[in-house]
Amino acid sequence: MPSVRDVALIACVMLTGAALTPRVARAQQQSFGGPAYMRALDLEQQNHYAEAAAAYKEVLAHDATSLPALLGLERVDAQLGRSDSLLPIVDAAIARQPHEAAFRTIKLRTLHSLGRFDEVRAAFERWRADWPHDAEPYRAYAKLLIQDGLTAEADSVLHRGEADLGSARQFAYELAQLRAALGQWEQSAAAWRVAVADKTYLDQAAIFSLTPVSVDVRPRIRAVLMAPPATVAARRILAGLELNWGSPRDGWLAIKDLPPDTAAVDAWLDFSRRAEEAQSWLTARDALVAVLARQRQPGLAGRAATDALSGGDARSAALLAAQAESLMDSSAAAGSVLAVHLRALSILGRPEEGEHLLAAYAGYLDADTRDRLTKDVAWGWIRMGNMAKAKALLASSGLDVDGEAEGWIALYQGDLATARKRLKPSDDAASPPLVLALALLQRTKADSAPAVGQAFLALARADTAAAAAAFEQAASAVPDAATLLLATAAQLDADRHDARAVTLWQLIVQQHADAPEAPEAELEWARALRRSGQASAAVDRLEHLILTYPQSALVPLARRELDELRGALPSTS
Amino acid sequence: MLFRNIIAAALLTLAPVAAHAQHLLVPMDDDQADHLRAYGLTYNALKDGAKAEWLLNYRGGSFLLPDTPEMRRRAGLAGVTVVPVNDAAVAGIRSEMASGNMDAIPLEKAPRIAVYTPPSAPPWDDAVVLALRYAGIPYTAVWDEEVERGDLSKFDWLHLHHEDFTGQLNKFYITYRGAPWFVDMQNENLAMAKKLGFPNVPALKKDVADKIRRYVMNGGFLFAMCGATETLDLALAGHDVDIAAAYADGTPMDPNADAKMDWARALAFRDAHLEQSPYVNAMSDIDGHQVNVPGRRQPLGTFTLFQFSAKLDPVNTMLVQDHRTVIPDFYGVTTSFMKNRLKPGDVVLADEPGAPWVKYIHGDYGKGSWTFLGGHDPEDPQHAIGSPPTDLSLHKNSPGYRLILNNVLFPAAKKKPLKT
Repeated sequence: MPSVRDVALIACVMLTGAALTPRVARAQQQSFGGPAYMRALDLEQQNHYAEAAAAYKEVLAHDATSLPALLGLERVDAQLGRSDSLLPIVDAAIARQPHEAAFRTIKLRTLHSLGRFDEVRAAFERWRADWPHDAEPYRAYAKLLIQDGLTAEADSVLHRGEADLGSARQFAYELAQLRAALGQWEQSAAAWRVAVADKTYLDQAAIFSLTPVSVDVRPRIRAVLMAPPATVAARRILAGLELNWGSPRDGWLAIKDLPPDTAAVDAWLDFSRRAEEAQSWLTARDALVAVLARQRQPGLAGRAATDALSGGDARSAALLAAQAESLMDSSAAAGSVLAVHLRALSILGRPEEGEHLLAAYAGYLDADTRDRLTKDVAWGWIRMGNMAKAKALLASSGLDVDGEAEGWIALYQGDLATARKRLKPSDDAASPPLVLALALLQRTKADSAPAVGQAFLALARADTAAAAAAFEQAASAVPDAATLLLATAAQLDADRHDARAVTLWQLIVQQHADAPEAPEAELEWARALRRSGQASAAVDRLEHLILTYPQSALVPLARRELDELRGALPSTS
Repeated sequence: MLFRNIIAAALLTLAPVAAHAQHLLVPMDDDQADHLRAYGLTYNALKDGAKAEWLLNYRGGSFLLPDTPEMRRRAGLAGVTVVPVNDAAVAGIRSEMASGNMDAIPLEKAPRIAVYTPPSAPPWDDAVVLALRYAGIPYTAVWDEEVERGDLSKFDWLHLHHEDFTGQLNKFYITYRGAPWFVDMQNENLAMAKKLGFPNVPALKKDVADKIRRYVMNGGFLFAMCGATETLDLALAGHDVDIAAAYADGTPMDPNADAKMDWARALAFRDAHLEQSPYVNAMSDIDGHQVNVPGRRQPLGTFTLFQFSAKLDPVNTMLVQDHRTVIPDFYGVTTSFMKNRLKPGDVVLADEPGAPWVKYIHGDYGKGSWTFLGGHDPEDPQHAIGSPPTDLSLHKNSPGYRLILNNVLFPAAKKKPLKT
């Protein structure tokens, strides 16, 4: 297995080959793959630098302009601390091929590594004088200056190049890097716009360079990259930046209105992948839907359906899954998108439709897959509260109701005693409903509470408004777990409107101060007050929390919120 | 020691349920949950008229505060560890202190604090401001206009950070002349110079430096960090010499500036050689690390706090109270001070053993005193322009930041005649 260094070396050699001009490449063919060169490379890989240097020189003795050999010699001489010995060899190469930028660049680099800065400048001036219409001298020299942190000097060199050549376009990449190093973010963004117009592969470098800008500067960067005329390359940079800045929806907005040509579709596809990596599922779904309008690929429809389901939009998932199925043959659909479709229908409370779909694809499913999907559909009936249908469906497939399913059915029916026996912590213990159910069943001694069952059922149907109301109502039915149910109701309410949630948190803090939920309720209450601009009231709540529950694990969070309200810490936004 | 540990263990155990004792001990050793806010707790107790004591070298330089419900409340909110102690326990502590290099210093009055900073400076670019805000210690921002109209007399303690009193704006011109923040800084300084009737920024800063010198001479406490240490003395010694590059005042630096410097006017340094090149980002050879000059830059090591006699030398002892004696070094525009540039009367509070430089120095001047700490931010050793601000809630036990807060609190000490 090659070492990291070997890989880097091989990559370096490959890049060298790729960078050669056709003319030089032809001239180098002999030395590049010749036995002496290969021996030199082997010796270098084995860290036998002195022997490698001798072998590279052997190549150069036959061909003084062998760029791979010169680059190899540059590397090993640097390892041996004798870079100065390279200079006469590079000079000889320059004398033979004075137009070859790579030789000049090696010379600049070598002089720079030796700290002979005046000579670096002189070599740059000579190069410039020899080839007055070439941008490369300015770029190579500016790159070294930027590397040294001499940004002002680099700036001067690039300005000089711009004046000498009559255009800054050739230096856009260097200028973009330079402006970023100087904190001139808008100018950097503008230069990146120019740079990627010619070299679209630089978009990742642009994103990397502009990501660190502070929140207050971002609107100006957006303005530069969104300015007309709209170009795919500039918009791609902005989309990537928005993803890195944690605002994927804005990233999609930056590219969604591009004229739908090939480049735009590529941008949407690329964005969808990045949004999926960022787990911004619905944004990824939107990008894929845009691609689907141009390219009706079944795989894309399947991905979009999966993303929609992951993002909690079961309705859209069902539609996209159906679209994907229509683009695939039945066998492929059964092996891929059918599961997403059935799960979406189950969540949507459309198990009957699910049963029909499952029956239609039954012939394409193996037994294990069919059983798994049957259970998914059965869950749809359970969520509908139709236990009889669920049991009948499972029975028709020769399946038993397993312990967990029995536990959930019991819970939905308000049979807490059976639910307590059947529901156990499992690998899926991170599932919020299961954690909540286990906490409730552990807390209360009640064996029956139909109101609690109704609340969990509403939650299973993703009807958060009904669930919030039901949990609040159920609190009076199980007084020994009342605060847990009230806190759950408040959390569900908070997703829609704070006012109702605040009432519940207030109730917990003021009337159940000893409950385990009290510190969390107080913290959430304070946060709601803060969101509504009532800073002083929020401070009171946070102070009360810290002083009343000093042992609570939430105290560090409360103290941080307090610090932010008092301006004792730098803003993290 | 055994007695102290037994008492401490017993009291810590009792702490959550203890009824009101006579005192609250604020331990400053590793038992303290938030060292930085302990200073804020003590400062604000003094501000509210309470008396406190600084138990030098006792458990990391602990504080003794009156036990009141409000004090407990504040400690609880701030997350500061306090231990209720009764008179008998305090007597035990005093007995232990009497037998070692420890002493109790009464703290009487919260010093009035001023921080010299331009109005446009973000509050998060100055370690002292970060520490004051985190600890909840109030301060007033002053700048050239306030200094020029004599407002310094309203304050007991003045902090300077990375202001360049030579008026060359830290030579950032070399690298950042086109950067918007630099252009703004240049314009802001120039506008102030014009407003106050000075021909250029170097002339204004020299005058401001001189007023700061008079403030110290008249009894003020000065604490400077980073580039303000070196440039304040350069501006004072170069009062009658052109020590600024042409980009700052229109004329090049006097080529014989070295010979014309009047070091008698400086607080801490002597015989320094000025950096004549406007293109080399260094002011003089006072700084040992020369962080912004690639060929001269020295690597960071650690610095060691000196130990002083608490009973004989309480001021210096206060300045080095810490729960660590060896602290990682950190860069700044000025990181350290070359030993061969210190005046003979300077007290070295911390140095890097074996290095030709020191980190932390103190001295008296007239009726007042000055303390210089090299470096920019103790918890951001490689701090660069544009670096995110340090979040002190992640460094609440920072030994480096404690040095800053020692300086904030030591003017509160009741003055005792120095016994050395």
